[in-house]
Amino acid sequence: MSVSQGNMTAGSSERLQLGDLGPRYFRLGVITAIVGVGLAILLGIFTLDSIDRFFRAYVFAFSTILAICLGGLFFTILQHLTRAGWSVTVRRIAEALAWNLTWIWILFVPILAAVWMSHIYHWMHPEGDMLLEHKAGYFFFPLHYDSQVPIFWLVRAVIFFAVWAMLARFFVNNSAAQDKSGDPAITSKMQWWAPLSMFAFAFTLSFASFDWIMSLEAHWFSTIFPVYFFAASACGFFATTIVVIYLLQRAGRIENEVTLEHYQDLGKLLFAFGVVFWAYIAFSQFMLLWYANIPETTGWYITRMSGGWAWVSLLLLVGHFGLPFLALLTKHTKRAKPILASIAGWLLVMHAVDMYWLVMPTMPESTLYEASTLAAFRAEATNEMLGFTPHLLDIALLVGLVGLLAAGTVQRLTKCSLIPERDPRLHEALAFENM
Amino acid sequence: MSTIVVDNTFDDPLRRAPLVLNHDRFDTVTEEVCRVNEEPHPPLAWYITFGISIFLFGILGVMVLYLLVTGVGVWGNNAPVMWGFPIVNFVFWVGIGHAGTLISAILFLFRQKWRTAINRFAEAMTIFAVMCAGLFPAIHVGRIWVIWWVFPIPNQMAMWPQFRSPLLWDVFAVSAYFTVSLLFWYMGMIPDLATLRDRAKTKLKAISYGIFALGWRGSNRHWHRYERAYLLLAALATPLVLSVHSVVSFDFAVSQLPGWHTTIFPPYFVAGAIFGGFAMVVTLAIPARQLWGLKNFITMRHLENMNKIILVTGSMVGFAYMMELFIAWYSGAMYEWFAFRNRMFGQHAWAYWIMIFCNMVAPQLFWSKKCRTNILIMFFVVMCVNVGMWFERFVIVLSLEMDFLPSSWGYYSPTWVDMLTLLGSFGMFLTLFLLFIRFLPVIAMAEVKAIMPQADPHHGHHDDDDDHHHDVEKAEVKS
Repeated sequence: MSVSQGNMTAGSSERLQLGDLGPRYFRLGVITAIVGVGLAILLGIFTLDSIDRFFRAYVFAFSTILAICLGGLFFTILQHLTRAGWSVTVRRIAEALAWNLTWIWILFVPILAAVWMSHIYHWMHPEGDMLLEHKAGYFFFPLHYDSQVPIFWLVRAVIFFAVWAMLARFFVNNSAAQDKSGDPAITSKMQWWAPLSMFAFAFTLSFASFDWIMSLEAHWFSTIFPVYFFAASACGFFATTIVVIYLLQRAGRIENEVTLEHYQDLGKLLFAFGVVFWAYIAFSQFMLLWYANIPETTGWYITRMSGGWAWVSLLLLVGHFGLPFLALLTKHTKRAKPILASIAGWLLVMHAVDMYWLVMPTMPESTLYEASTLAAFRAEATNEMLGFTPHLLDIALLVGLVGLLAAGTVQRLTKCSLIPERDPRLHEALAFENM
Repeated sequence: MSTIVVDNTFDDPLRRAPLVLNHDRFDTVTEEVCRVNEEPHPPLAWYITFGISIFLFGILGVMVLYLLVTGVGVWGNNAPVMWGFPIVNFVFWVGIGHAGTLISAILFLFRQKWRTAINRFAEAMTIFAVMCAGLFPAIHVGRIWVIWWVFPIPNQMAMWPQFRSPLLWDVFAVSAYFTVSLLFWYMGMIPDLATLRDRAKTKLKAISYGIFALGWRGSNRHWHRYERAYLLLAALATPLVLSVHSVVSFDFAVSQLPGWHTTIFPPYFVAGAIFGGFAMVVTLAIPARQLWGLKNFITMRHLENMNKIILVTGSMVGFAYMMELFIAWYSGAMYEWFAFRNRMFGQHAWAYWIMIFCNMVAPQLFWSKKCRTNILIMFFVVMCVNVGMWFERFVIVLSLEMDFLPSSWGYYSPTWVDMLTLLGSFGMFLTLFLLFIRFLPVIAMAEVKAIMPQADPHHGHHDDDDDHHHDVEKAEVKS
């Protein structure tokens, strides 16, 4: 196919549109969401004795899909920041995932409910706890914690969602507008804003991860935590993108535009960021806290190395790092579409397990501090105390939110072409070769 | 060779900027690069800087000798700061040694073609910086004649190093990094060494370059293997770029000391090392391209790109400073908070504020393209970074001054031996670097040629008129 300077030849447009698949997938997503969330609510009502358990599962499901969307935003900004040419034909998937950030604030409402209606955010009740009283300002400023209104925390959440929505709108709308006008000035404009956007992204992602996930264990702290969440979001994003592209190609879309070279490159990025960088950050955090072994911080890992969590930790070590590391080393697996898509699918599951491992465990602090040895603690601490109570509800909620994510993404993909048809660097993406 | 100043810093989505200026042919590239080594005499500035460098190198030798015959008491290291200048200098130099392998390995994997003009001398810089770094722990052990004890060699004393100590991991991490960087640097140089061998006018030169060129003939099979090996080494070197400084950060972070024990240390140290390393590359590139007329290869765009990386990594470092500070407060750990208050307002507060200004504030100038492409301003900024990154390590190490027990607090001050040893290490670094420029191919000729539009097999055979070879002519000509 002869393509020059971003002018696609006519006639191929059907393969570049989602077309009739759009409404079908959208319906499927919405139905999945309704069934998943509905089932979760029913399960919650009939099987749970505390609403805390439901909200924790919700934070887990929310974090899982939020990470994927943030990864999409990161990738989109990064491509403009680095003036990338190779990635033009896969950028729409990232844009569509990032687009979900324009409405995902709605899904934050249950977390607001969780703050007031449950005890999972323990910092809401600092009275009598010296540490929590000390850090109450981070949540309640300028009010006193007696007010029970965490103003500062709320304002930050508003800022995060506003920034994400603005960034997503800016990059997605401009990219779509270029499909019509073909104006290279649009690319220049996005490139101009990319560095500042990246700053805003780094800042908001970091504090969002502190505010919503790290603060679940209100006493605990780790300076690397935002980087860990970022690595997780990169993993979720690259895995999702590979799976989505594979499904689109199976449905006869963008078959010539996304080549084996793109698969290999996305596979490399999944390997580099989703597997190795993730493991590097996870190891850095674990090793430093384990080695120093001071009571302020080790409890978080002791919890995750006790009871059922020990097996989840092991699963992550093998499933999120060991196996995919070996599987993605060679170029042959990265260039075999079904194999790469399967590895990506597996890593997507692992991403969810990772978020589960991050959000669900509860540190039984009094048991921890009273236990004289690690063995004594492990004998004492039941899975219930550790928060290891896997429930069908977790899966139902996750499936529900993933359904919503899929619906939102498909909805966006139906709005414009599946690739930026008139991006000035399109020809580079169509022609580049790895070897 | 014409030396029209071409502005290739434009940012046009419709075309990629030319990376090699004023060259249409490969042979002129060879000529211009080889001239650096083949001129009968280097520029006067080379003699002057070499004289100063070797003098400083001599001072280093004297200081090390004085240290060895007297003992580490000649340094300022004393309770409570048992780690003074030596560890600061070690971390500083290892950090400098990060840019080279990042440029040659990571930027290679990211297909950043502009790296080819700067990778050779950045790698050389890496090797020399790591040599300077290795010196400090070695002389710090006091009895340097038993330095081999740091290696796990079976011996009749049944004595082993402490495997649980990150200091030992450092030995492995740094020596692995040094070995791979050296291999990478040398292997990449083989085709260019062969060029120098083939052009040599004297027997001695032909034989010397010939030995190191390993019989390179530039055959298809040679190139095939060369490129395979290059890719593999790049893939192997990439994790090393991250692991070295991560392990260096473990030296501090595995402890329980406030100001040292924080989980952000590994990625923060790596970002800082890349930051400092790139600053040193720019510091050396600015005079080098001027003196040896290499502006057609190390163009303004190259400098601008490096300045952008300095801005990014500098901001990451600044972000890490703020994150540490925030968590020091958020954690409610009073010792941590005390350590940070002490850094900001304590007895060495001036060092902290120098660090903040040089590493966090000064690089922000690079948001402006005018500053990124102005030689004087960029030289000011990179000199700030060079100073700032040294002070960063100084500030970190001085967390030792005031620990948990007020009765053991102290004030660290370096001695004149500390000062002259640090100065002398710059002498060693620059001496090696100047010798490298004089005798080895300073720019990777073969790789630079490969990124010229003329190297593209489709060059000149396009159906459309939009050929790349007009790029140079079309570029806007600056006065």
